[in-house]
Order: sequence, then structure tokens, then C-alpha cells
Amino acid sequence: MDGGRLVSWRNRWFKWSVLALLAAVAVSFGVGFVWLPSAASDFSAAGAWASICRAAGVPTKWGGNNGIDVAGVASTAVVLDRSMARPGAADAIGRGATLALGCTTCHGVQGMSTSDAPNLAGQYPEVVIKQLGDFRSGRRASPIMQGLAKGLSDADIGDLAAYYGYLPKARNAPTTYADALPAIVRVGAPLRNIAPCVACHGGIDQKLGAPWLEGMPRPYLIAQLKAFQAGDRHNDSHAQMRNMARAMTADEIEAVATFYAGKASR
Amino acid sequence: MLRASRLVLAHFWVAFVAFLGAAVLGEWQMIVRSPLSSWINNPEHYYRSVTAHGTVMGYVMPTLVAMGFGYAITELALKRPLIGLRWAWAGFGLVLAGTAMAATTVALGQASVLYTFYPPMIASPFYYLGVVLVVVGSWVWVALMAINLRAWKRANPGAAVPLAMYGNCAGAFLWAWTSVGAAAEILALILPASLGWTDTINAGLARVLFSWTLHAIVYFWLMPCYIAFYAIVPRAIGSRLYSDTMGRIAFALFLVFSMPIGIHHLFADPEVGAGFKFVHAAMTAMVSLPTLLTVFTIVASVEIVARLRGGKGAFGWVRALPWRNPMMLALTFSFLMLGLGGAGGLINMSYQMNETVHNTQWVTGHFHLIFGGAIVIMYFMIAYDLWPTLTGCKPLPAAQIKAQLWLWFVGMLVLTLPWHLVGLMGMPRRMSYYDYSDPAIAAQGALVIASAAGGFLVLVSAALFIWILVRASLPARRQAESIEPYTFSRAVHEGARVPVALNGFGLWIGMMIALTVVNYGVPIVELASLKQASVPIIPIGAR
Repeated sequence: MDGGRLVSWRNRWFKWSVLALLAAVAVSFGVGFVWLPSAASDFSAAGAWASICRAAGVPTKWGGNNGIDVAGVASTAVVLDRSMARPGAADAIGRGATLALGCTTCHGVQGMSTSDAPNLAGQYPEVVIKQLGDFRSGRRASPIMQGLAKGLSDADIGDLAAYYGYLPKARNAPTTYADALPAIVRVGAPLRNIAPCVACHGGIDQKLGAPWLEGMPRPYLIAQLKAFQAGDRHNDSHAQMRNMARAMTADEIEAVATFYAGKASR
Repeated sequence: MLRASRLVLAHFWVAFVAFLGAAVLGEWQMIVRSPLSSWINNPEHYYRSVTAHGTVMGYVMPTLVAMGFGYAITELALKRPLIGLRWAWAGFGLVLAGTAMAATTVALGQASVLYTFYPPMIASPFYYLGVVLVVVGSWVWVALMAINLRAWKRANPGAAVPLAMYGNCAGAFLWAWTSVGAAAEILALILPASLGWTDTINAGLARVLFSWTLHAIVYFWLMPCYIAFYAIVPRAIGSRLYSDTMGRIAFALFLVFSMPIGIHHLFADPEVGAGFKFVHAAMTAMVSLPTLLTVFTIVASVEIVARLRGGKGAFGWVRALPWRNPMMLALTFSFLMLGLGGAGGLINMSYQMNETVHNTQWVTGHFHLIFGGAIVIMYFMIAYDLWPTLTGCKPLPAAQIKAQLWLWFVGMLVLTLPWHLVGLMGMPRRMSYYDYSDPAIAAQGALVIASAAGGFLVLVSAALFIWILVRASLPARRQAESIEPYTFSRAVHEGARVPVALNGFGLWIGMMIALTVVNYGVPIVELASLKQASVPIIPIGAR
């Protein structure tokens, strides 16, 4: 074996390895941070140092609104939080039951509507909180619900959500996996970027803020999908439902509504 | 027989049984997302399977093979008992416990996040803790390799470290530094979110930290294969190694250039600067150096035996190669797949060309060809080559081995070439369902079926591999007479002087760490200091 010290300029393996590595680093950094950026006008516009910073990935206006006025564009004022999904306490359910006496005309005595208004029995608490909050702030339009929601405090809304969450769910269109499910419900339409309904609304996964749909009145489901499609309803965070509904055909909307309405549609 | 043979066998058995299970899952995945099967209706089941397949193939199997092979090399190349046998068993126990823990969590549907984790998806903490145990178990191996090398050097001052052990330790030290990225990601970012201490995660930083591990892990998988090229193949085909020094240089270069290149996995990531993407692409190109050196050296090594067998001419010697020898066959297949996969890899690693294939099935086809093809086929040969020494069995049946190798090679090509092609046609990866009834992708259906058929051949080959090993291990196959002592390849010029730089790792580890700091320092510090970079976590299997 070759004797001598490893870390020494006299050791040619050490010397040439270190020099070659330094050269490789210098060349690749020179090309990546100086030469290539200089060829792109958007990189080099603000001078050499700004160009190097940009190549290094340093954000320039991070956190600002970059001059875009976002007021009036936001679709919803309710920020979903996991704590909203917790089942309500007994006293909240009791208070909610009393408040819900005002809802029975349309939403039914036990939260099961007989007038094509949405069922609320067993609805996830965060869904009730979000929708009432959006009605109250005017983000979701309804002549009746906007007026009613205006009089509700945050505590009232929480109590109503607790009460309806406590009632048993309608289970008349069980979303177990079977080829019998309509394709749009089961697999969506990947080439049109339509996710399967069961990916968020229960079946495969239940996403926070996605409502329980089984047993919902068919006309209500059709009206909502069409409203999302046309953009008339726009209180869905990040346009999630508008993006799904926009690409759906009228037949697919019918199929989804018929499926989720289950027995109620027949 | 080795003192540590039970230890090595334990590693290999767990690795290969897990490998067969994961191969079954892989073929199932190929079939359910092909037109051969109607949709399984639940993508969660598909991703659960992908997670299990990736976790076994990416972490469990190669780590156990590298560990087992490393222990065997330590005794066989250094010609002394392994120091720390009990620690080695403890490390093996950790890997086993971690595998069981992760596998159970995945099977329960609590961890369908794929083996690359993909934050902000967050799985059950038991999955990550399982992976951490596997990695910690492998760190025991790294430490033991360093301790054994040191003890041998003390006992043999001035002597050249055997090439097999040099490569083995290069792999161990590479792994130690490589695994730091994913370990930091899990401990600092993912576990706090998984345990519910925080509900947001800096996904960009997590991706950068994972890229630290993600590419170099490939070279950790590759190391046993390269050790086999240098230290086993020439001996097994009756030749000599053309250059021992070239092997050392290749291992040293892997140590330096494997690490600071992982950002080429993040070319489409807006949180990383274009300058760093270019630098990582340029350094990725440097990794082709040790591979080209290796191909040259090994081809020169096999040429020696061909000439000795009467081969003549510039290319005529190829016909005189010992083609009946399974090792010759495996080496050829491995090089062919390495060449094809490497050519495809040039496209992935080029910042601009990558845009045409980014996140398509091309990428999946690429890493199956290069890892499953070129590397794993040499894992088979390592096992076959060591088996008589480990179990005391009679020589393994060459015909069956050759059949297994042919099946693997043909299967891998039929699996991966159409896979590349559908990628070029734009088929995205990581999707569980494709609507082949749509005219836009109907033409891809036939290619996906071809891939599934190739996958079936690969699965049959994997089963045959296990069968050959099981059969050889039966008591009836025990060899009565004593087994020839195991040897590694001898170099053409034996006893040549080894420069001090190539007899140790100080210089190369120093360069590896320095280059990592230069190439990763700014992106990591920058992303870690961004206040606005955290996003809400998405719990998997939560509700």
C-alpha cells in the first residue's frame, strides 16, 4: 500500500480529487446560476444578484397578494376545522332540538324532509355549520335560508349542528362497492377530471365538509348540481364541486341524483 | 462454513420471502389496472397494495440483502469471525419488528401513502415507526461494518482492504448518510403530524428531505450488485478482475456523487430554484462515470477468459465466453437492462427532457427495469453463489437457474418496455383506474396487458428462485464432503500498490458531506425558514 498522509497536498489522489470536485462544482454552479439565467429575460431583468437569488429559489414577493384584489372572490367565509366534526354534547343537542322546531316545516320533524328540502337527519355537524354560516354571510343564496340564518348566533348554529348530527342517518342507498353503482359514482370520469362521488361523500372516504347524501331528495340534488355547474352556487371551498359538476352531462347528473335519492326517488 | 451463516441466511430468507409476497402484489396491481380486470371499486385497496409493494421492494428487501451480504463479505473477505454477532442479530430483530409493524399498519388500511410517504398525506404513526425501526436496524449493520473494517486494519497495518469489503463499506457509509434525509423528514416533520401534535406540515421541505434519500437509496440498492460484478463474476466464470483499482475508484465515486443529486426528482416542484435543479441534473450525469468505468472493467475482465478459451478478433471473442455458466448469463442480462434503463434514465435526469415524461408511467417503467431488472437479477446470483457456503448444500442446478434468469430477463423486458411506451403516450403514474373505454386512451390498453403478461413471467421467475433455494436447503441436498472454501475474484495484477486514498474512506466521505451541504444547504434552510410553507395534513384512513 501507498504510505503517507491522506490529507496533504503532496498526496496527488487528495489534491486532484479535491481540485476536480471544486472545478465540477464551480462549473455547474456557474452554468446553473449565472449563465443559464442570463439567457432568460425574466430571470435577469432585476440584475445579477436578483437573478442568482431567483435561480436559488428565494421567493421575491412571498406572502403578499401580488397586486391581486381577492376581496369578493372568496367563495366561503367558513374555515372548516376538525373540531367542528366532533359529536355535540348532550346539552347542545337539547338546545339544538328546541331551535330545530323552527326548521320542521321544510326539513321534517325528525330531519327527514317531505317537501324536497334536504334531509338533515344525521348530517355531519361541520356541514350544517358551514352551510348555515354561508347562508348567514350571503355566500350561499336562498331567499328563505338567508333570512332564517341571519338571526342565528355561532352558538345557535353549533347547537343545531349537534342536534342534526345526533339524529340517525337515512340509509337507503348504501354505498357499498359493487359494479351496480353508476360509473360516475364509483370511478368518476378520470379523463374529464371528475372524481368519484364516493371518494369524498362516503364509501371510499368521507372528507371533512362533504355532506351525507344518501336519501337526499332527487330534485334537491339535481338543483344543486345544476347550480354548481352554472356557478350560481359557489360556496364550495376551492371550487371543488363547481369543478366536478361543470364537466358532468345532464344524464350523469340524473344518474347521481337518482342513485343517492335511492328509494325516495321511486 | 461461515460462523455467521445462520445470520446471513436469516437476512436472506426474510428478504426473499417478503420479495415474493411483494411480487404477487405487484402483479395484482398490473392486472387490476389493465383492461383484463373490471375495476375493483376501491382505489384504497390499490394504494394499500402499492404501499406494501414499495415498502418491501424499496426498504425491506434490498436493506436485508445488503446487510446479509455485508455480514457474509466481512467473514469471507476479511477471513476472520464477525465482530458483534449479537449486535447483528439485534439489528436483524429491529428490521423484522419494523417490517411487521409497518406491514400490519398497511394491511389495516391505515398507511396507504406509498413508500415515498407523500406528505401532506399522513398515515398512522405505526407505519413510520416501523420504517424507522428498519432503518435503525440497518444502522447497526453500518456500525458493525465500520468496526470490523477498523479492527481488520489494526490487525493488518498497511495491507490493502479486500475489494469486496471496500465496496461493502462504501455501500454501508453511503446508506448511513443517505438515510439521514428520510429519517429527518419522518422525525422532524411527519411523526409530529402523525401523532397529532400539529395539523400542518411543511410539505415542500419534506419533499426536499426525502429527495436526499430518494435517489441515493438507488445506489445503496446497487452496491451489492456492483460488488458482485467486481468480486464474484470474474471468479465465477473462471476469469480474473481486470483492475482492482478501477473497482475502488468506482465505489469511491458512488460515495461522492450518489448523494447530492436527488433534486432531479423535484424538477416540477415550484418550491425549489431552477439553479439547484440544474446543478443536481449536472451532478446526476456524473454518476454515470462509475457505471461506465464498471462496464468497461467488467467487459475487459470477461474478455480475459474469452481469450484464454481461444476467442479471437475485435469482437469474435464474445462467442468464446462461457455462455453455459449462469453467472455469465446473469451478467449479460444485467448489463443489457442496465444499458436500456440507463438510457431512459438520461431522459429523466435532464431538466428539460424530463418535462416530457415527468410523472408518467415512463418513470415507473424506468425504475422497474433498472432496479427490478439489472440489480435484482444480481441479488439472485449473490444468493445462488453463496448458498453452498451458507447451507452446505450440493451445487445448485444450473439448468433451473438459467431458466429462472431467462424468465426474469424476458419478463422484465415485456413488463417494462410497453410500460415506457404508455408513459410516452401520456399515461400518468400513481393512478388506480384508467377508463380504457375512452377513445383517448383506448390504444394504451393493449400495451398495459402486455406489461401485465411480462409481470406474470417475472412472478413465475421469482417463485422459481425461491423454489431453487428451498430445495437446495433441504437436508437431503446436504453435501457430504467438505465444501470448497469461498473465494472472491482475483485481480490480474495481484498485490499491486493501493493508494492510501483508495484504501480508506476519509477523503470520499468528506467530499460526500461537503457536496451535500453545498447542494442541499440553501434549499433546506430556505424552505425551513419559510413561515407560509405549511399546508394542512390529510390523514389517511382516519374517518
